[in-house]
Amino acid sequence: MRAVYGIVVRELVRFRRQRARVLASIGRPFVWLIFAGAGYAAVFAGRNEIDYRVYMAPGLLGMVVMFGALLAALSTVTDRDAGVLRMVLVAPIRRSTIALGKALGATVLGTTQAVVVAALLLPLVHLRPSLADGLLAGLALVLSSLALGAVGLVLAASIRSLENFAGVMNFVVFPMLFLSGALYPVRHLGPVLRLVAYVNPLAYGVDLLKHALLGAWAGAGYGGELSPWLDVAALAGFAVAGLVAAAPLLAREGGVTRTAFRERA
Amino acid sequence: MTAAAIEARGLGKDFGSIRALDQLDLDVREGEFFGLLGPNGAGKTTTVHLLATLLAPTRGTARVGGHDVARDDLAVRRVIGLVFQETTLDRDLTVQENLRFAARLWNLPGRLAVPRIEALVRQFGLFERRADPVRTLSGGMRRAADLARGMLHEPRVLFLDEPTAGLDPRARRSLWDLIRRLRQASGLTVFLTTHYVEEAEPCDRVAVMDHGRLVALGTPADLKRTTGVGSLEEVFLARTGHPLAETGAG
Repeated sequence: MRAVYGIVVRELVRFRRQRARVLASIGRPFVWLIFAGAGYAAVFAGRNEIDYRVYMAPGLLGMVVMFGALLAALSTVTDRDAGVLRMVLVAPIRRSTIALGKALGATVLGTTQAVVVAALLLPLVHLRPSLADGLLAGLALVLSSLALGAVGLVLAASIRSLENFAGVMNFVVFPMLFLSGALYPVRHLGPVLRLVAYVNPLAYGVDLLKHALLGAWAGAGYGGELSPWLDVAALAGFAVAGLVAAAPLLAREGGVTRTAFRERA
Repeated sequence: MTAAAIEARGLGKDFGSIRALDQLDLDVREGEFFGLLGPNGAGKTTTVHLLATLLAPTRGTARVGGHDVARDDLAVRRVIGLVFQETTLDRDLTVQENLRFAARLWNLPGRLAVPRIEALVRQFGLFERRADPVRTLSGGMRRAADLARGMLHEPRVLFLDEPTAGLDPRARRSLWDLIRRLRQASGLTVFLTTHYVEEAEPCDRVAVMDHGRLVALGTPADLKRTTGVGSLEEVFLARTGHPLAETGAG
């Protein structure tokens, strides 16, 4: 378990060094709140059920978790390119330990960033959750970070190189965000997209966050749409499935020798 | 009778249709300084990665430090140190942070790791730069830090895969000084791969490899005598029919 701790500590030290990354992750949701929030709030203005900026708050926290945890897990691609993954692979630890360390690092980073953003964002939109709701929101952040970290690991282990990274951003990160219920309720989506939304871990995370933060608007149809138990179970399922799938992929031979061999052959 | 540090029987690896390593039989004795000499693409790195459990063999078996590489990979990785061709350090972390990270990966408790890291950075001439990011270090210093990382858990068998690739002559010499001192200080077995004959020369025994096959094995002196030539370069030429140092891209 010392190895897991070591992997997590390295993630934190790296993150702290990257000041631009810290600022971007904290600032991003506020940019969305101001620009997307202003536009959508105007569209929503005729209806008085909820201020759109309040509606956005759980989704924005979900977004912070997604960027925080997913990008942390995707750093495995950089680790492979830079050779650091080799140091980890030659250590006397199991592949599952590596996957767990990486996923927990992503969890700590995703959760911490989201908590910092929540402390600034919630007062701004006049959301004052009770202690119980705050704890539920915290649980949602931890579970979402873990699930997204684990799923991110599978993505990272399947990506050949950094060039595919942009593709991941376009075809994974943005659909994941838009199909999460972060910006509009999932029930407004067509049947096909709704189906896609429910294989999206972020959708369960955002839903659980809505249970915690938008309980007062549940009657108007802006609270969580699924059972909170289902959200918790789905997030835990994504986390376990991701970890199980990622462990063998991390050690895949392509990552260690084969590419080097091909270059030479 | 001393146990074999490395023991390979019919060890081989295919990558698809490419036969990277054919069938290797090899014994390296405890404490031996063993060199694997061959051009790029000869299968040297594949051999090291098979012995270090980073690759699964296609055929054959191998034992390192008495442990089977296929069945007991964790035990093998516990007793070996491996310095790769390219650095494996995190360039954004300091030398010390990298070594602490490695210490945790190798499950060394802090009370053991801290004094050991301190001793290693002093011994390897990195003390002044220990708090600097690896990114700012010269190639030679990075290699020294890599070697420190490989020695941190006091391995019994140290694999050096083309350790001097990309280093200037001075950095090369100081790296060899370090390795010599490490060998003298302990009964460390060193398994070196190289395509430089002058690096194979001081080895106790040299295995000459080409196209995934072992073409000669013996002490440098024996190899030269039995081939009837004066240098390991000529040994390679005589046994393979082509020169070791290719003029074109390897």
